[in-house]
Amino acid sequence: MSRKPYVRQMSKTSWFLTHSRYKHYILHEVTCIFIAIYAVILIFGLFRLGQGPEAWQGWLDGLRSPLGVIFQILAFGFAMIHTWSWFKVVPQAMRIQRGESFVPGNLIIGAHYGVLAIISLFVLILAGVA
Amino acid sequence: MARSSKAIPWLLFAGGGTVTAFILPVMILITGLFALFGVFSGALSYETMQAFVGNWLIKIILFGILFLTLWHAAHRLRVVAHDFGIRADTGVAIVVYGLAAVGTVATVIALLSV
Amino acid sequence: MSTRTITIEVLRYRPEQDQEPFFQSYTVPCDEDWVVLDALNYIKDELDRTLSYRWSCHMFVCGSCGIVVDGEPKLGCKAFVKDYGDKIRVEPLGNFPIERDLVVVIDDFIEKLESVNPYLIPKEEKSIDDGEYLQTPAQLKAFKQYSMCINCLLCYSACPQYGLDPSFVGPAALALAHRYNMDSRDVGRKAREDVVASHEGIWECSFVGACSQVCPKDVDPAGAIQQTKITSAIDYVTSFLPGGNR
Ligand code: SF4
Repeated sequence: MSRKPYVRQMSKTSWFLTHSRYKHYILHEVTCIFIAIYAVILIFGLFRLGQGPEAWQGWLDGLRSPLGVIFQILAFGFAMIHTWSWFKVVPQAMRIQRGESFVPGNLIIGAHYGVLAIISLFVLILAGVA
Repeated sequence: MARSSKAIPWLLFAGGGTVTAFILPVMILITGLFALFGVFSGALSYETMQAFVGNWLIKIILFGILFLTLWHAAHRLRVVAHDFGIRADTGVAIVVYGLAAVGTVATVIALLSV
Repeated sequence: MSTRTITIEVLRYRPEQDQEPFFQSYTVPCDEDWVVLDALNYIKDELDRTLSYRWSCHMFVCGSCGIVVDGEPKLGCKAFVKDYGDKIRVEPLGNFPIERDLVVVIDDFIEKLESVNPYLIPKEEKSIDDGEYLQTPAQLKAFKQYSMCINCLLCYSACPQYGLDPSFVGPAALALAHRYNMDSRDVGRKAREDVVASHEGIWECSFVGACSQVCPKDVDPAGAIQQTKITSAIDYVTSFLPGGNR
């Protein structure tokens, strides 16, 4: 008897809309777009800093423009999504074995949030706020 | 099958993903809060920032953060392009890594100009 | 025991007469403790002898009854009807060609499994008279999770990267490679590395993580692949250093 296997194609451009876990995945993947733009803004700021007080003030004004504010609110949201999704999977990528058992995943994740808090506090103090 | 050179950008992606996860939220908080409420206006004043970035240790740290952030984003953009159905992977890789390389050089020049 | 009447919609495909698959509905009186596989068996026994599907053990061990239930890859024997509504949609595993009804063609996976040398490669062969290759409980623990795989292929069904690019070696095969790489009695990592660390191997994975979410044996293929990425990437870089072996 001749065989005739049937091949189903998945959409190459919209597959990630077909299941909630794929939507979560694509949401944390696109964080890189905002992260990239923010990095470019920072590098641009360093250039402006080297060009003198007016140039620097111009860059600060840019941050304060409506577009700058809206972008940074979005960027902060996506940066948090990145942080959250990144920490969440650390125990899978980095198992720590102690004898016959593994350090619990939640402990590893918790430690990451602890370090995040310390670093954030440190930077805020450095910036003269906290 | 041959071992893939993707190992190298992946290491930068992974390192950058970790660094950005820890540092970017607070950085955006600082520039963003300044933008919204003008707090930190002293900290972000021209004189303070000049002195701050003028420090060599700070230069090196800023370079490390920006370099890894750029390559993290570049590698993930390559994956996003693939996931959105853009199949010219080699072309995409050349563009995104090329941009990251340009950004890296720009970061060095900018830091040295301060 | 109470029964509930459930409509089971099965994706049918009969290669000798159908151009493409279609859904066929069966009305099945299900006992409350039934699994979807029981419902399929009822259909086969009482309603329609032509329905084709694979199964063997009915107890999550053989790995042959993988199907997609209401859009989610499941073992037919582990999907309890009480967890579903009055209408249950049953499809063959995704990302594999359909041979007939719920039976898929898995030759591609078998080839990939073979390609990663999924067996112990000891430093030196010992004869049986020389005794066992000894291992401590802690050494066993290091890889045990990855040895639980029953080749049910739910992970391949859930993996979009395998669906997008079938040349990807895929979750279960890479997890099994990791299982042997992590075994203290094994020295075969180098032999596996050419396939594992190729473009089609671990580097095709973008850590969607779906495989680990659907795995019925908690194998965590996604974790295995990320761990392999870390060691392979470090290997790759150090191979360029003086004294590194390429
Ligand atoms: S890794 Fe899990 S889902 Fe994949 S084949 Fe093995 S048991 Fe099934």
